[in-house]
This record gives sequence, structure tokens and C-alpha cells, in this order.
Amino acid sequence: MQIVHIILSLLLALFIGIFFSGLSRKIMARIHWRYGPPITQPVIDLIRLFNQRGVSHGRLFDLGIILALAGSLVVVLLLPVGSIHPLSGSGGLLVILYMMLLAPLGIALSGGEAANPNTSIGISRKLLLAMGYEVPLLFILLAVMTHYKTISIVQIVGMQQETRWALVSLPMLLSGIAYILILPAVLGVRPFEIVQAPQEISSGPMVEFGGPFLGLAMIQHALGLYVGIALFVNLFLGGAGNPLTFFIKMLVVFVLGIFINAALPRLRIEQAIRYLWRWPTAFAFVGLVVVVLLR
Amino acid sequence: MDRNQLIKWLKEPAKMGHKYSLHAVYFCTGCGIIEVPPSITARWDAERFGVLPVATPRQANLFLITGYVSVKTLKAIIRTYEQMPEPKYTVGFGSCPINGGMYWDSYNTIKHLDKYIPIDGWIAGCMPRPEAIFVAVTHLWTLIDKDMADGYRRYRESYNEYRTNQEQVLGKLDWPPLFSIEGAR
Repeated sequence: MQIVHIILSLLLALFIGIFFSGLSRKIMARIHWRYGPPITQPVIDLIRLFNQRGVSHGRLFDLGIILALAGSLVVVLLLPVGSIHPLSGSGGLLVILYMMLLAPLGIALSGGEAANPNTSIGISRKLLLAMGYEVPLLFILLAVMTHYKTISIVQIVGMQQETRWALVSLPMLLSGIAYILILPAVLGVRPFEIVQAPQEISSGPMVEFGGPFLGLAMIQHALGLYVGIALFVNLFLGGAGNPLTFFIKMLVVFVLGIFINAALPRLRIEQAIRYLWRWPTAFAFVGLVVVVLLR
Repeated sequence: MDRNQLIKWLKEPAKMGHKYSLHAVYFCTGCGIIEVPPSITARWDAERFGVLPVATPRQANLFLITGYVSVKTLKAIIRTYEQMPEPKYTVGFGSCPINGGMYWDSYNTIKHLDKYIPIDGWIAGCMPRPEAIFVAVTHLWTLIDKDMADGYRRYRESYNEYRTNQEQVLGKLDWPPLFSIEGAR
């Protein structure tokens, strides 16, 4: 039974992630007053990329991208989708925090092997950005764990189902707002699209990826989108009883994120850090203090 | 995507993928690049054809050579072309890469681009309108369908001749040959 749940959860994550990539391109096009690509365009791109002859730059180049993909897949297994939660009994939020670091690490290893200057700029930006959003993220997760007195994400979802969503319950409100504020940085969309930045540093860590390697990196990016949104839905929007409700909640959050993505220009790295360490961190810290005092 | 193309998709997914996902190198090689921003942005919207500009040659499979090719640019063009993963398609844009155009007696531009890298199709005109890019893209689809867009295979087969032509213009090339050259020269 667990095997079925593992496969089902991975397939759902892949489907939702790739569907969201296509949907984002379509919605962006409609906002630009264009017709836009068909919604299946990421699938067409993936078919094309896996049929091209990629250029490898060494052993670590091949293994790093696989490490990043594996890290994302493990995080997907740890997140409950409705009633499907194959691995969420093992470790909960703490393990998720550690495992979320594997994806950028793998990309950094892989890109470092290619030895392109744009890659090193992109990787240093990625690590700086991660340092920016992980301080508020840590405060938020501490507040959640203190409020619900557990590290198990399944129990957190269950308690929200019994009472109400964490986002609308009073002590958790500030932490929820802080998560909304850092969500674009976690997903790496436009105001915080500093890492890829195709116009500045030729798509950063991806600069030497071609063919199947780029295909794997695209899948990893789609899974990253899924993980960022699914964590928010599970922690603050009450998770879901069945996968369909979960999907609808994710869709609402993602479409709102795309609107922000379409409306804002890209920040510079020091502007991004200044923003991330000011308002989201302040909200998250005050939220943590409120949770501890009201306990 | 047409619904009646479903059988084609099931039969040859690779070919259809190459057709409908043409990612172009955003490399400004001449004055013709001025026609590319309107065609990729809101006015003409190349993305509905699956044509998307990408920042690096590694991710691309379509190379638009837009406008005159000076000797210095030719060097960058050859390096970019060799970095693209196969299969890759090249389209010469404007009359200058075809036969020199208004620069035909210039000392510093090359006249026939297809002596140096293989070209799959040409767009004539000085300047061609952005609509011409889409006509070219649809022609390229037919060529890929009939397996006639084989520039990358021609480059592999007659790499010796292409390399000789390149060295005639550029002198000794400072990068190793992409494919093995049979026979010492």
C-alpha cells in the first residue's frame, strides 16, 4: 500500500509541477496581451530536450543534477497530499528543512563542474538568497511547531482540519503573512528571479545545461515550485482531506504568485536581502513571540 | 497543436518535439536583430509557435543569423554553432548572409555564410518583416517533417571542408576541431 502511495504522490507532484509551469507561461502571455504557447508546451520542451544530444562536463556534472532531482523527490514524499502521506511519519518538518537544501546543493555541484563564470555568479546569488529567506522560514516553522506542539506535518494538518486554518487563527496570523511575503523568494519567481536572470547572467546555474541535463533541471524546477506551494498549503491553509481540494488550494496560491511575478521587475541581490531580512523577518519574529506568549 | 496530429505525435515524438519547441539563441549578429524584439514580444508573439529566445547556446536548437556577418562575428558564430546540442537548425535572415547584400564588396564581411556553417533555410529581404520569421518557422516545420533540415548532419559529414573554409578567412583557429578530421593537413 505504501508503494502505491509513493508512486501516486510522485506522479501527482510531477503532473502538478509541470502543469503549473505551462499554466504560468500561458497566464503571463495573457497578461502581456499575447496569445501565448499551448498549455502543453513544457511537455513538448521536455520531449525535445530528452531527444537532444547533451554535452556533459564531467562526472560531477552528471551526478549533481541527479542529486538535486533526488532531493526534490524525497521532499515531495515527505509532504502529505490530502490523505496520501507515504513518508511523512519519518521526521516531519525538521527533515523537510534539511532535505530542501539538497536541491540547490546539487545544482551548485553540477554547475561548478562546468566552470562557467556565469554559473558561479548564479550559485553565489542562490546561496545568498537562501540565506535571506531561511531566517524568516526558520522563525515561521518554529512558530508552527510551538503552536501545535508537534513536528509531524500530518498532525499539524489534522489539527487544522479539526479547528480552522492556521492562516485565519489569531496566534498564527503573523507567521502566515510572513510566509506569504517570502513565498516568491522560495519559489524563485520574478521579484526574486535573481538566480536565473537570463538577461543578466545567461540563466545563471543553468548556463551550461543542454539537452537531457536541462530536461532534468526543468523537472527539478517544476518540483521546486510544487514543494514551496505544498508546504504553504499544508502549514497554513489547512492541508486537505483529498488530493483534489489540495490541488485547488495550490492552484489559487500559484495563480496569485504569477500575478505578482507578472507585475514586478527583478530586484538586485542586496535589495532582496534587505527586504527579506526586514519585513518578513520582523513579522515572523513577532509571530513567534506572540505564539510563545499565548501558549 | 492540432488534434489530428495525435497519430504523428505517437509515431515520432522526437521529431514533433524538435518541431514545436524551437528555442532560439538570442545572439545579435547584425542589424536584422532589430526585427527580433517585436516578434518575440507582445506584438507578434513568437511563443505561440513554440519559438522562445534563450540566453545560452547550450539550451537552444535554432540559430537565427540576423544581418551582415563581419569576419570577427563569424568567429563567434562558429563557436556558438558548435556549442549547440544536436539536432540544431540554422536560418539566415536578410540578404547579407545570403550573398553579401549591400556589403558585397566590403573588405570586412563574408559573402556566403553557408560556406562556413550549414544553413537550413534563408529569409530574403532587407529587412524582412517579422511576419517573414513566422513564414520561415512554418517552412522549417515542413523541412523537419520531411527530414530535409539536415544542416547538422552535413556539418558532421563534410566538417573537413567547412573547417578549411573557416581557416581560409580566420587564419589558424584557436579551438580544437569539433569532429575528427580524417587525414593530416
